Amino acid sequence: MPAVSEKTYSIGVPVEVAKIDHELKKLWRESEGAATRASLMNLAVYSEAPGSLNSNTQLMARITEDHACRAIVIEADCKAEEDGVDAWISAHCHVSRAGSKQVCSEQISFRLNGGCTSQLPNIVLSNLDSDLPLYLWWQNEFHEPMDPQLWAWVDRVIYDSQPWQDFRAQMRLVESAQAEAKQRIILCDLNWTRLDKVRFALAQFFDHPASHHRFAKIKKVRIDHASGFRSTALLFVGWLAAQLNWRAEKTEGRNKLQFVSSSGQRIDIEIRQCDGQPIHELVLTAGDIEFAVTHAKCGDLLEVSRGIAGEKRVPQLMPAGKNDPVSLMSEELMRGGPHHVYLHAVERVRDLL
Amino acid sequence: MNRATDQPEPNPLREGLATRAVPQPCSIVIFGATGDLTHRKLVPALYNVAADGELPPAVTIVGFARRKKRDEEFRRDLEEATRKFSRQPVRDEIWKTFGQSIFYHQSEFGDESGYEQLVKRLDEIDKTHGTRGNRLFYFAAGPDQFEPILKHLKAAGLNETRKGSWVRVIVEKPFGTDLASARELNRIIHNSFTEEQTYRIDHFLGKETAQNILVLRFANAIFAPLWNTHYIDHVQITAAETLGVGTRAGYYEGAGALRDMVQNHLLQLLCLTAMEPPTDLSADSIRDEKVKAVRSLRHWSRNDIAASVVRGQYAKGAIHGDPVLGYRQEENVNADSQTETFVALRLFIDNWRWADVPIYMRVGKRLPKSATEISIHFKKAPAVLFNKDLHDLNVLVIRIQPDEGISLRIHAKVPGTSFHIEPVKMDFHYGTSFGKASPEAYERLLLDAMSGDATLFARRDEVEQAWAFIDPIEEAWHAKKDVPELFFYPAGSWGPEAADDLLARDGRAWRKL
Repeated sequence: MPAVSEKTYSIGVPVEVAKIDHELKKLWRESEGAATRASLMNLAVYSEAPGSLNSNTQLMARITEDHACRAIVIEADCKAEEDGVDAWISAHCHVSRAGSKQVCSEQISFRLNGGCTSQLPNIVLSNLDSDLPLYLWWQNEFHEPMDPQLWAWVDRVIYDSQPWQDFRAQMRLVESAQAEAKQRIILCDLNWTRLDKVRFALAQFFDHPASHHRFAKIKKVRIDHASGFRSTALLFVGWLAAQLNWRAEKTEGRNKLQFVSSSGQRIDIEIRQCDGQPIHELVLTAGDIEFAVTHAKCGDLLEVSRGIAGEKRVPQLMPAGKNDPVSLMSEELMRGGPHHVYLHAVERVRDLL
Repeated sequence: MNRATDQPEPNPLREGLATRAVPQPCSIVIFGATGDLTHRKLVPALYNVAADGELPPAVTIVGFARRKKRDEEFRRDLEEATRKFSRQPVRDEIWKTFGQSIFYHQSEFGDESGYEQLVKRLDEIDKTHGTRGNRLFYFAAGPDQFEPILKHLKAAGLNETRKGSWVRVIVEKPFGTDLASARELNRIIHNSFTEEQTYRIDHFLGKETAQNILVLRFANAIFAPLWNTHYIDHVQITAAETLGVGTRAGYYEGAGALRDMVQNHLLQLLCLTAMEPPTDLSADSIRDEKVKAVRSLRHWSRNDIAASVVRGQYAKGAIHGDPVLGYRQEENVNADSQTETFVALRLFIDNWRWADVPIYMRVGKRLPKSATEISIHFKKAPAVLFNKDLHDLNVLVIRIQPDEGISLRIHAKVPGTSFHIEPVKMDFHYGTSFGKASPEAYERLLLDAMSGDATLFARRDEVEQAWAFIDPIEEAWHAKKDVPELFFYPAGSWGPEAADDLLARDGRAWRKL
């Protein structure tokens, strides 16, 4: 069995696919008393990137620190000439908050060769921890065929739309799979999760009802984003448009958009690329007041301030969130419920993405 | 837990970002700002919510106390304390902005001009910090100071709500020492503030596991049909601590375990366990049901008290192998003190759901381990088939602290060819299943008060009903004749034998913790 240490970074010991259950039981029997197995979900991770089995194992070792689960890590080589499946089992163990015992999540790793899509549903379904929800973290672009047998079991599908080349085509695939599965699959886009803290920082300016009149005065929004994160900025725009009931009017090139509010106010949106964080800075102008959210130099904090343009302000600091996959996944796994707001945001900018 | 009834129009940008009422900008004025509570709990809690990004930027803290101090000195003291007591490490850059919103206001509690100055200062802060005229007065001073503070707040007009703003007051326990004093305290408070403005804080209710009792009961269909006299044999509630009276002798000598713990914390836990489902999750719906549960507690005659309540006091003994003094030998304790450091009670709730289900409570200092829990002991299955020789009951345990979680004891067949049955435990630990640390109770409760959500705060009638239940016991203990005995127990034991007898008479025993 793999050593039950504080952190296990290897994919573990090879096992026969037919004996995974038996080997897992053996693993826990041997470590009984020293460690406690915990699981709140099945977290299946699918990737077609070579070497992903190892890199995803490192991620799972860190994700399981806060999210006990049964991890099913799959690397697929769909172009391999011969069909085959190799499997490993391991455990990620961490000292619990109480500090007295080790809490472990188990990981089953698979390398699929050849007919990936046909093997995938069975590999996932036959290794689920029963009665726990299935979260499927799909690290590739989606492609046909989307197996309805698998999707019917998925509770949440997690993906990152940031690197997608064709957003509309990808969303079509996800939405058709969702429709075909005939069950409520919640779509979780890590590109949307990336916006959580920035959205929170901007939203808090408008908590007091006395500030609500400023929504109608918004005339300009500027968003500075890092290279490759235009889609993140557009999702942010989609969020504002959906929540504040703006309608897209026209676009000037890729980076200048125009919306109109329900009261007829024109809103100019400028999206600029810069060095820094995915959403590095945003400034929203409403009347003579500017609301600004900027990444602080230390990186993990946001400076938020409001005031008259050009005047000196004392910013408040708020957590910024991080852009690494472990932080994004942790953030996503922390929250439950549907993502209606995301779907509304996508609707408003689908054609721009 | 709920959305307060006086919540303003929702902010559309908050949709999906928050599942709780949003805290509003305000000035938090702490009376007794140089005391322990402010340094150990309140300011570290506010720092933590600020560091988590939950505190609106326009929140300021104004410390009101007698000692001479300047803002800078007060900030330094609080920074030092927060570095020591905060749940998460203090980050210099966050403290820098957080610290700038802390102010000190020096005044005697009885000095009228101090309050007039306070008005000016708060108005100024409204202008400079955007606190919008919202005020949260936190009474961290001794209860003997409440009356002058409240009187002067009213005289200075600080109890008045301006258009579009709010004024609330948080009162720390003790909420009186008996029913009469609780009524008097409520009268004094209500001379200046309405009940809707009054938030009586009981930090037990801010604990994650206490809040989870309602979720366990009302979000899980399997328990609802079992939660009554037909299936429950009895209930035990324990709050044990290894600590002695420590530096609290001055207060504790006049209070004792019954007033200090049972009247508030334990009865609150009992209410959450015993209440009927509320019609909705609003503060008053939940508190209405809690009040009904306390009101249904069976009141005792003198004779009942002697038979149903056991009081004890720790004598010298050992805790974790170290010898410790008896209560009477502790500093500032009378050598012949009659104050109880342990109470065990056998009580009943006279309503349809709980008829004839005994509820046993025990609370004590200098017990072998620190643990607070509620255990629901289910009735035996019919004594045919497997149960002829089984004595253990199915037990559902809700652990409040430490090691928060829930366990269920069931019976299982021991593997083998013979038919041997043993109890096994299904165990859920918060710390194991959820990696993220829970916020401190004060963090949650302060945010709730800033949001106008009073669900986790005690209402006037709850407090008064609880005293109405407690008073006859205190009266019996302080009567001139036929006074129930004060039993002594060695520190490090589970209390006096009389407490065991309380259950043994019914053929039961305390759960072994």
